[in-house]
Amino acid sequence: MHIVILGNSTVAVAAVEAIRSIDNMENKITVVSNEPFFTYSHPLLPNYLVGEVEEDEEKFSYRRKGFYEQNKLNTILGDAAVFIDKNAKTVELKSGKEIAYDRLIVATGGIPIVPPMEGVNLENVFTFTNLTEVKKFKTALPNIKKCVVVGGGLIGTRLTEKLSIYGVETYLIELLERLVVLALDDYGAGLIRKELEKAGGHIITGDSVKSILGEKKVCGVKLASGKEISCDAVAIAIGVRPNMDIAKNAGLEVGRGGVITDEYMRTSDPNIFSGGDIVETYDLTSNQRRSIPILPIAYAQGEVAGLNILNREVKFKGGFPMNSMKIGGIEFISMGTVNPEKDAEIIERKYDNGDYKKFIIKNNCLSGAIFIGDIEKAGMFNWMIKERFNVKRIKDYFLKEDFGWKYFDRDTRNLRISRQLK
Amino acid sequence: MMKIIKVNEDVCVLCHLCEIACIVEHSESKDILKVFKREKPRPIARCAVEEDKPLSFSLMCRHCDDAPCVKACSNGSMHRDERGYVVVDEETCIGCWMCIMVCPYGVIRRDERRQKWNLSTKCNMCPDRDIPACVEVCPNEALVLGDVVECT
Repeated sequence: MHIVILGNSTVAVAAVEAIRSIDNMENKITVVSNEPFFTYSHPLLPNYLVGEVEEDEEKFSYRRKGFYEQNKLNTILGDAAVFIDKNAKTVELKSGKEIAYDRLIVATGGIPIVPPMEGVNLENVFTFTNLTEVKKFKTALPNIKKCVVVGGGLIGTRLTEKLSIYGVETYLIELLERLVVLALDDYGAGLIRKELEKAGGHIITGDSVKSILGEKKVCGVKLASGKEISCDAVAIAIGVRPNMDIAKNAGLEVGRGGVITDEYMRTSDPNIFSGGDIVETYDLTSNQRRSIPILPIAYAQGEVAGLNILNREVKFKGGFPMNSMKIGGIEFISMGTVNPEKDAEIIERKYDNGDYKKFIIKNNCLSGAIFIGDIEKAGMFNWMIKERFNVKRIKDYFLKEDFGWKYFDRDTRNLRISRQLK
Repeated sequence: MMKIIKVNEDVCVLCHLCEIACIVEHSESKDILKVFKREKPRPIARCAVEEDKPLSFSLMCRHCDDAPCVKACSNGSMHRDERGYVVVDEETCIGCWMCIMVCPYGVIRRDERRQKWNLSTKCNMCPDRDIPACVEVCPNEALVLGDVVECT
């Protein structure tokens, strides 16, 4: 069987690892990517931009050297897929090349959301989701003194921190009244804001960039409030949307949040699978299908797609947002739905040492959590969300500094620790 | 079949020797006196004793078959070694704590003492030994090496 994977990141690697774990190298696998690079670690892009890690360092790669050879992959890197003919089972590439497949995995990821405003095509306007773009930014960086970052989400805040420390005078513009809206609450976002300001960043909330100013190159931005900020670069970090034109044009079913798949990660075409930032994912904490563009979900979906191509009947039942970040002196992990509707029960505590924990509970199930500072037990709560664990008897202990398995009932604890309870 | 460290809370006597043995095993000198008197930085214990008297037990990585930490790792540092155990590549780990975010047992520790990159620290089943240090030192078989009986 010839398995073709469009994409060379998390989903592709996960699918390859899943397939090769059971197929004795019997299938031919071809990985196609528009970017000409060895699979790399997207979360390290901000570090790469400011020179904390270089492209040739092992830690920048998503897998170790030799990954393609060890897994006997054919790679076509630097040539984009432009059309899928699902009836003929072929993929046409930009170069004109045509590849026939038996099974296809469409994992073309996300593309940055760029608002249609005046000046977005000027020189020194950058996006931040792939290495190709970040390389351009990095090349220009030595000559950038002042930068405006558009969007105060996870990427925008990290970028603002890195640029500020690097020595670029950075202005972060966020439309809403606070930062990191999806992953933090007011209190947590306030701490992040302080850290960014400590690093030298200028934070403007409740305002937006209306247009980017300049002749050929960026020379400033104009905000909705009328204020103008001079700058020599603009980084757009509003978020990503599914890069799904190719799926749409192939006639695959798509929804608002991305390509539609079943629990086996199969699209509306039985020979085509998908996963990662391009698909709509069932959110176990909000009970909605939506885009959840995070690495752990991409891996899980890629793995399931790979296994099901070999008819293993494995399901991906859903996921939820989760993030781990460090901004200045603040480490935080958040998961699930952290800004709940009114009927949810909230347990929270600010600790004397500056730590903070918050848990959101609905119908005796945990649906969201925030950990600031003390994060080491966060995964136990991740498990509780995922398994819809009934927290009625354990929730009173959630805020204890020494929270652990000792607070669970004896049977649950022993079954879990001996790996006999999922 | 792969063995893991089995925990028996009924016979743990709260001596913390597992933690001591773990620290010594993962030190430079592997000499208890040198480690505790001189070695800096001293390794972090990869097992941790929980206590709520009279209950006590030591817990460390369960080396899950379906290890979430391996899948969530941002750059492939968390991986399975040739023995099948889940271990961290210290050279490439950047301490992003994605593994901590998903570890269902809460048994991954943060080592924030390196110059540039933080380091995720967890039980590696003592690759230089036949029997892990904590199991060997345990005076009352509260930690033993045994087979996994997986749930279905």
